[in-house]
Amino acid sequence: MFWLVGLNVLSKYEPFCRSGGKASGTAYCPPMHFSLVDKVIEQAEGRIVTIKNVTAAEEYLQDHFPTFPVLPGVMMLESMVQAARRLAESSSEAPTQVPLVLGRVRALKYGRFVQPGDTIRIEVELGKRNGDEWDFKGSVVMATPEREVAASGRFILRPARV
Amino acid sequence: MTRDEILSKVRTVLVDALAVDDEDVTPDASLTKDLGAESIDFLDIQFKLEQAFGFKIAQGEMFPEDLLKNPEFVKEGKVTPAGMAQLRLRLPHVNFATFESDPQAAKLGQMFTVDAIVTFVANKLKK
Amino acid sequence: MRWMWIDRVVELVPRQKLVAIKNVSLAEEHLHDHFAATPTRPALPIMPASLILEGMAQTAGLLVGHAGGFQENVVLAKVGNAEWSREVVPGMTIRYTANMIQYDETGSSTRGVVEARDSGSDAPFVQIGSIDIMFSHAGHAMDLKGLGQNIPSHNFVFGEAFKTLLRTSGVS
Repeated sequence: MFWLVGLNVLSKYEPFCRSGGKASGTAYCPPMHFSLVDKVIEQAEGRIVTIKNVTAAEEYLQDHFPTFPVLPGVMMLESMVQAARRLAESSSEAPTQVPLVLGRVRALKYGRFVQPGDTIRIEVELGKRNGDEWDFKGSVVMATPEREVAASGRFILRPARV
Repeated sequence: MTRDEILSKVRTVLVDALAVDDEDVTPDASLTKDLGAESIDFLDIQFKLEQAFGFKIAQGEMFPEDLLKNPEFVKEGKVTPAGMAQLRLRLPHVNFATFESDPQAAKLGQMFTVDAIVTFVANKLKK
Repeated sequence: MRWMWIDRVVELVPRQKLVAIKNVSLAEEHLHDHFAATPTRPALPIMPASLILEGMAQTAGLLVGHAGGFQENVVLAKVGNAEWSREVVPGMTIRYTANMIQYDETGSSTRGVVEARDSGSDAPFVQIGSIDIMFSHAGHAMDLKGLGQNIPSHNFVFGEAFKTLLRTSGVS
């Protein structure tokens, strides 16, 4: 019984891996330099919460900005996109031949700066699905008791068109 | 332009700026509490109203940002009586009745309803 | 990963329009993750839309910054509406055109067009997206919530990298 509890706790903190194909059952971990999801905190039907640490070790911060390093707003958006993709691709209705990519953004607003040493919580909810469009509402908040909002907005994921 | 026509154009502006649905934009809906507007949205709304109605809105004419930065009008997060007098004078389009009992500057945004915007536009068009 | 998402400014009409281009190359590291091969499909390098958004933000930000003599901190505040109809892959060139819609002390609003074409060709640029961006001019931004943060008083946005970009593009 005890080890079952342990497994349950561990699965909350699994690294960002995706199971490789429905039949295979083996975990597949793609190279993840461009990864803005460090941990999955919650995942349920239509909702996912992830965590991202912001660290001075992320090289692009040295350019943004040299005298005042802050997480670029589009990286907050990308963290929401990656969390949403994770949520959508866990559904049996997600396409397998092409990835879901960001197709549209609406009313994306920025509330405060996020700096190295901060941890952000990314909360994404699936609103509705219109054919192959997945409509999400997301917010990036500080992982502090106050939960100050750093960014929030709506966006749509759709299959990549190449 | 009738009040209804103004409301219709204001509704289009708010749906565009705030990514809300038409039915959310009711006359007594608060921009901040009900429609999720934040500081940048107020500027966006101002810009879009200027384009929709063809007039120019001066800084602080629709939303009192300069007033809130004045220490004579806001002390310790609360709007002073002098501040309240200024607000009532400068913003005749806003109903401050419920605000006066607890004049927290941070909550001032909640007083801006869709109706207040419509009144503001109606007043401007009259001039 | 460096943080410069435009390569060259090709046109500047002060206070009105700025046009910039960006080459997309497989030499960019993040394209190897976006997207890497999976058991169900081969690698598919696609420029992340969020970074296309950043390219437009930098294009529009330069237009706005230049309009203010680079005195203000021009900070991304809101993306009103942005959409892309197809993906951009290595070997393509993106062209960003930012138009100034409104500008005042507290902030500005821009409307942008994103186009792309195969690099090294004479093919016309084809529109693939549009992006509306608002900036706040930090320090002047109205803040009804009263959120204060330790924002430096000096200009932190327009540093050496942007100055070099403007100089090599032949813009004063």
